[in-house]
Amino acid sequence: MPITTTRRRLLAGSVATLALPALVRAQSAAKPRLTVISQWSAGSDGAAITALGKKFEEKGGVWQHSPVPGFTTEMMNKLRAQIMAGDPPACSQLKGPEIAAWSKIAPTVDLDALVAAAGYEKVVAPDLAKLHKPGGKWIALPLQIYSTNMLFLSKRAMDKAKADKIPVTWADFNDLAEKMKAGGVAYPIANGGTRPDDGQKFEAALAGISPLAYRAAIMNLEKKALEGPEVKAAFAQVRKIADWMDPNVGAQHFSTNLKRFIDGDMGMMIMGGWAQGVLRNAGFKFEDFIIAPGPSDNSKPVFLLNADAFIFWQRKEPDLQAGQTLMAQLVMDPAIQTMYSQITGSIPVRTDVDLSGEGWSDGQRRTGAALKEAIASNQAVLSLAHNMAQENGMTAAMIDVITEYVKNKTIKPEQAVARLAEAVEGAR
Amino acid sequence: MTNAAAMKPDRPALPEWVRRLPECLMIWVPLLLSAAHLVSFSLWTIWISFTPSTLVPVTGWVGLRNYTAVAASRNWQIAFDNLLLFGSAFVLLSAATGLILAILLDQRIRGENVLRSVFLYPLAVSFVVTGTVWSWLLNPGLGIQKLVHDLGWTSFKFDWLIDRDMAIWTIVIAAIWQSSGFAMALFLAGLRSVDADIIKAAQIDGAGPIRMYRRIILPSLWPITITVVVIQLQFAISTFDLVRALTNGGPGIATQLPALVVYDLMFQRSLLGRGAAAAVLMLLILLAVLLPYAAWRYLQRRRASHA
Amino acid sequence: MRERTFAPSRVLIYLIVLLIAAAWLAPLAVVVLNSLRTNEEIAQASMIGWPKQWAWGNYAAAWSGFCVAETCAGIRPYMLNSALVTIPAMVFSTLLGAVAGYAVSLWRFRGDTWIYAIVTLGLFLPQQMRLLPWTIVLRDIGLINTLAGLVLIHTIQGLSFTTLFCRNYYVAIPHELIRAARIDGAGFFRIFWRIILPLSPPILIVTVIWQFTHIWNEFLYGVTFTSGQQQPVTAALIALSAAVADIPQHGVQSAAVIIAALPTLLIYVLGGRYFVRGLTAGAVK
Repeated sequence: MPITTTRRRLLAGSVATLALPALVRAQSAAKPRLTVISQWSAGSDGAAITALGKKFEEKGGVWQHSPVPGFTTEMMNKLRAQIMAGDPPACSQLKGPEIAAWSKIAPTVDLDALVAAAGYEKVVAPDLAKLHKPGGKWIALPLQIYSTNMLFLSKRAMDKAKADKIPVTWADFNDLAEKMKAGGVAYPIANGGTRPDDGQKFEAALAGISPLAYRAAIMNLEKKALEGPEVKAAFAQVRKIADWMDPNVGAQHFSTNLKRFIDGDMGMMIMGGWAQGVLRNAGFKFEDFIIAPGPSDNSKPVFLLNADAFIFWQRKEPDLQAGQTLMAQLVMDPAIQTMYSQITGSIPVRTDVDLSGEGWSDGQRRTGAALKEAIASNQAVLSLAHNMAQENGMTAAMIDVITEYVKNKTIKPEQAVARLAEAVEGAR
Repeated sequence: MTNAAAMKPDRPALPEWVRRLPECLMIWVPLLLSAAHLVSFSLWTIWISFTPSTLVPVTGWVGLRNYTAVAASRNWQIAFDNLLLFGSAFVLLSAATGLILAILLDQRIRGENVLRSVFLYPLAVSFVVTGTVWSWLLNPGLGIQKLVHDLGWTSFKFDWLIDRDMAIWTIVIAAIWQSSGFAMALFLAGLRSVDADIIKAAQIDGAGPIRMYRRIILPSLWPITITVVVIQLQFAISTFDLVRALTNGGPGIATQLPALVVYDLMFQRSLLGRGAAAAVLMLLILLAVLLPYAAWRYLQRRRASHA
Repeated sequence: MRERTFAPSRVLIYLIVLLIAAAWLAPLAVVVLNSLRTNEEIAQASMIGWPKQWAWGNYAAAWSGFCVAETCAGIRPYMLNSALVTIPAMVFSTLLGAVAGYAVSLWRFRGDTWIYAIVTLGLFLPQQMRLLPWTIVLRDIGLINTLAGLVLIHTIQGLSFTTLFCRNYYVAIPHELIRAARIDGAGFFRIFWRIILPLSPPILIVTVIWQFTHIWNEFLYGVTFTSGQQQPVTAALIALSAAVADIPQHGVQSAAVIIAALPTLLIYVLGGRYFVRGLTAGAVK
């Protein structure tokens, strides 16, 4: 295996040489150097990017990472300032449709030859690939994937409900929640109350009810779909979820509830795959909870994609160009993606990485399997709550409606449908 | 300045402007830089508010479209109402709290130094920290309500943070906690500078403490009250980090404030033009409040110079 | 009010004061307790609680241990960065504000009311609005990603407050004093140096305290206009809490919050007395 890999890489290298004479000449002349801006600074995110930097240095590069702690907005402020100053980083964190939007304000690097050399396109989910090649050329590379609609079940709450079947459809889910309630689980749902958290409840509901309607309404913003019965049904489902939640959660992070979730005081959580890393870091045991794909009414897994990525900004310096080539190769490398995902709890972008081996958790394996199945049945869709489906302005306008609906029980589902359509019109 | 120069006839005959150059530089350069940045930044923002800018500033002209979009949005409408409520409630209550604290501290109590530090220390803490800690204390499941329940009074209810009609008051609480120390310091300073002779005279006339405060001391605090109100108003209008950490505009969008909307539009939603329009609207609100104050000051000064 | 009254009302006053003081201290108590609990303990229990075991290690981790991406040096280097920005900006804005306030209040020159009005209006200009214009200015003068750029921003923005407060303080200085000095032939700087500055400590303490805490606690400009190793302490504090996909490190963060707040707390506790005295001396007109 190592030998074939090497040979394939050599081949890839020669293809790259033919396609990118300038880049490669630069590479031979200068020691690769990379300036990077990301918001990853603490916890497993910080550990993962640090490990990536170490690999970059092992390959002889100079790694200059400038983390911008805080919200994504602050990272973008920093990026904007650098671009306006005519000094963009060689590479920066950016995701979803923002890649297309930002690529219009500063020149980016054409990565087509490198992507072709690595054979990356065939192993990336098609909807995801599209986001990273606005205008037809690859300018950004996805690094890791999370599903935002994983279902976490508390074993103790399951015991209280005397249930052992993992819910597959929303009907099953509602059923289990009722049983939990009857069995003495104080709050069947353990989610938090931040804006993305509220958004996730809605997207999980709609995509689970109908991935087709999700695609039409949320990803393509078709007016008919936005006002359609599926969206209304999704809002009705969100109301149920909200009613099963602890009203005291306010705007707290979901991790506030982890203890009660593990204790069986709360039953289920619809959360991204990252929650298992959070549970692990908080010192809870894997035996105490179950991870499964989120409810899907047609019984085939629906995967709400959330992917982190790097965008590459054009630089004239030969050492930075050499650094970009090296970084692109590293990001697409299965070994690097494995390392990265094993630190953060995500799954690799490459669908050809084998997750059965050591170092992968049960949850990651299930997530990986769900992704493959979802791609096969065209049920891998882009997350709204985590800025994958729409640009930030549109996303925020839609989340406004959703979060207000979650927090205000006097709003009827049909009113929410009308408001959502209105918000979309207003933000277009 | 001309007078000052004229009074020094024995100086060697350097041209006057050369002699006065250093002082002119020291006076004018900082003041002009400061004024220039304020004027040009404001004009720049006004210009941007008429352009179709999104991620970065661009040229172009969209007329009043950004303004109508902002004014029509629910976020702005809620933010505007909240600012009126939050602004007036916070300014009044924090001034009142500051005044009460100052009066209490002025009673020659022991440990005044320690107590004063206790009331002042929140000013030293960053808004993000204040917002985060109060989001725990005010959360019914984590903070005060839970504490009281654990003590046995289980029907006690204090859930403003999750009540969309009352949530804005949680920001008032946290903001009062953070900034009424400053009002206290100002008022305490005012109380301490009331003429001791007047107080003595009133005491001889047999005025009780309450009467003394109402008739003599409080009226003399009037100018300070204006300063307090201006400073707190500035605080109210620019409140941003505090809300972001405490409610982040929630529950839902019930605690939006203009500063939050401006930042959100400009940087989170990447709608620079609209964000600039919101900022300009915010400045107009501010002018509507400040102009009457400026007019009042002007009249007062004129009356003083005529007297 | 200023004589000793009889006991019951005194008791009531003490009771009220102590109750309010307790309420004022509650948030601090929460942070101090959290700074002594492990991250896991907080995650497994609640944000508010009594430490099960005293995690003094949080302070060591906060001071020099925890990592912000590749840099595992705690908040120590960031404290230094903040000091390098805060102290010069505080000194410059205070001194320049004192000169400007003195000029506006005691020298009167053509256009002084106008420029003074504009400068003080700067107090009300939200800083979110100034972020992009500052980006352009710093780019054009080549100070982006330098601490000098931040010092410049905070000096110029700080002038609004320092000029306002110094001017209001100097207005109360009797004009005769200045007139006499002028007759003796003293010029602008001599009068400032010999007469005004010796009278100024109370108000300078007010502006120093105000500027120091505001610049020290500033975050938005601090992360936008610096790079990597130059970031201010507020950035390091946020790094411990912001990740959506991670467990908030409340224990270490609380310890870091306390260490980071020490300079500003200290300045308030030590300066509080002068703060009130400075304002008493006539700053509030």
